[in-house]
Amino acid sequence: MSPRAGEGEAVIVGAEVVAGHDGSAELVVRLRHANGAEAPLVLDEEAGLRLMRNCGASHVDDLAGQSWRRILEGS
Amino acid sequence: MSLPGGETISASPALSRQRRFVTPGPDETVEALALRALPGQPVEAAVDAIRSWNLHIFAMRKPAGLLLGSDVVFVEPPLG
Amino acid sequence: MFDVIVRGGLVVDGSGQPGFQGDVAVKDGRIAAVGRVEGEARQVVDAAGRVVAPGFIDPHTHFDVQLLWDGAARPALEHGVTCVVPGNCSLSLAPLKAADRPRVVGMFQQIEEMPPEAFTTAFDWTWEDFAGYRAAIEKALSINVAPLVGHSVIRLWVMGPAAQERAATPDEIAAMQDLLRQCLDAGAVGLSTSFVDIDENGRPVPSRFAQFEELDALAAVLGEYGRMLQCVPEFYATDITIARIDQFAELSLKHNIPTTFSPLFDTSAVPDNAPRAIARVEEQFARGARVWPQMQTRPIDISFSLLRPSLFFARLPRWVRVLRLPLEARLAALRDPDTVAKLVADTGPDGGEAMMGRLILRGGDAAPAELAGKTLSEIAKARGQVPAQALIDLSLEHGLDVAFLSASQGHQSTDRIGPMLAHPLVHIGASDGGAHIASFSTYGDTGYLFSEFVRKGRHLSLEQAVAKITGETADIWGLKDRGRLQPGLAADIVVFDAETIDREAELPTFDMPGDGMRYVRAARGIDTVLVNGEVAYANGAYTEARAGVVCV
Repeated sequence: MSPRAGEGEAVIVGAEVVAGHDGSAELVVRLRHANGAEAPLVLDEEAGLRLMRNCGASHVDDLAGQSWRRILEGS
Repeated sequence: MSLPGGETISASPALSRQRRFVTPGPDETVEALALRALPGQPVEAAVDAIRSWNLHIFAMRKPAGLLLGSDVVFVEPPLG
Repeated sequence: MFDVIVRGGLVVDGSGQPGFQGDVAVKDGRIAAVGRVEGEARQVVDAAGRVVAPGFIDPHTHFDVQLLWDGAARPALEHGVTCVVPGNCSLSLAPLKAADRPRVVGMFQQIEEMPPEAFTTAFDWTWEDFAGYRAAIEKALSINVAPLVGHSVIRLWVMGPAAQERAATPDEIAAMQDLLRQCLDAGAVGLSTSFVDIDENGRPVPSRFAQFEELDALAAVLGEYGRMLQCVPEFYATDITIARIDQFAELSLKHNIPTTFSPLFDTSAVPDNAPRAIARVEEQFARGARVWPQMQTRPIDISFSLLRPSLFFARLPRWVRVLRLPLEARLAALRDPDTVAKLVADTGPDGGEAMMGRLILRGGDAAPAELAGKTLSEIAKARGQVPAQALIDLSLEHGLDVAFLSASQGHQSTDRIGPMLAHPLVHIGASDGGAHIASFSTYGDTGYLFSEFVRKGRHLSLEQAVAKITGETADIWGLKDRGRLQPGLAADIVVFDAETIDREAELPTFDMPGDGMRYVRAARGIDTVLVNGEVAYANGAYTEARAGVVCV
């Protein structure tokens, strides 16, 4: 499993599959930033599956605790 | 209003505070934008911050790293 | 002597006022009288027990191409829609130089999913300017069209390939302004732009390369005409949506123009998304800005096949691993009894009945046509299998080209969405009619408004719902001749049964050029539709009437 997020940087705290406007499944990732505030990030099917692969996750719940940097790997 | 080299909309009394943003100038790189938006910070840290606050741009853009004049680039994290 | 009298219906006139029993008389394409009408007419439409309302206006469509061979924008008209707004999301078919057609066709195919024949055999591409496109569609319209002109094509006309590479120079921006004026003079009702769309290669469309000054300059031209600016904002990303609302509010205030963004979705994954956006809209309206959020009525479905990995399976680790395999290895795994047994077991002791039983086989692909519209549970029972096993076997039997639909996976909470649709600053629209045609049906949202939010949820009265998609829409868009049953206005009229109006089930049909497939929904409860005083649809059939116009 990949390293978890470092101190003081944005971290994934949850993820959920949603319906995209074009009928595809998309991934809404919830990030907690260093200031404690949370915000959603919408990833399309390709980016969502890539994130799961980057994190070695086979379940969306496995994404919790991962660094925001994982989202950019391979993009 | 968010103009090249300028800041975002200045909140009028009638508007609640929202997250600040800028839009990239013509051919502006992420490094240049980060230094403009976060002056005084080391460039690597500034770029890191801009990326982490704007994954909507950096996670899916093709070609990767392309900044567009119409992009909303947040210059601070989400408001608590 | 009137041309038509619609007699004895509940007249719901589009103003939001209570309906009343009465007649609507038509003369020379216009409404001549409303109330108790004396006199005779060449044609009488019996509306007893029915609602008589203004024709519905659909403010977000992509019928640009279809209108060239289908002047009714089928099946929009049979749903009671008498006016469509094409040209959304920065894309229109004019102004467009012949040399740039392939580039824009690629963008259209990305959004509309039209087959290539739609652009090569279905019409003669005779025009380059907006007036030419207008003339091309006006030849045989049975529905009214209020077309937007697309920012991306304006950019492409002026800048050529550089439109998708860089910011514009001041001279180029001035040329875009002149071109926009020509389009508005030729009948465009506004300008559309996009902050999210991509072309067939995944590259952002030209409008996204514009600096804010460019949009500001184009909005200044819209201000000369008092016309609409439309945009597509980033989905489910509330902070960005609010930033777009603020940008558009500034343009609205500076140039005194209406603006609209579409779509605004509700989702349980980001529950504060729509409420926060609407709250910001309220603040901006309080300042005098006009930024109308368009919200669609229908829920969003997810579709998938086993041809490619889908996030639909994101909670089934073993399925994800198998579907990530290259095609040959994936086929081998799906044929391996041990693997399949584990996959089926992962879906629960009921073999996926709870998890997958309600999936709908979509049809229109390699699957047997007679299975289209059936649930996986029904199909599995007929095969003597559990649903997960049936899904795998059926897919294998047809080269994995079998699409399934998981209905209502987003924007699906009637109790949340109903009050938002009823909000005075929320514009009902965003149907996307004519887009994504091979993925899902974009027709019948108006019927769903009445069935789900008037009859079932009771979030809107009949009169409110009618006003939302007629009079209020006409006001928002400045369509002065439309939207109300009022003497002197254009006679766009729909007669429907308030107890049954709805959309039918989604089904594949092969009525696109080249026998291309699309998903459609037929209408339920619509009796008669008049466009500019002529009966365009009645008794379940389209007529020969061609009274549609480009309306401004």
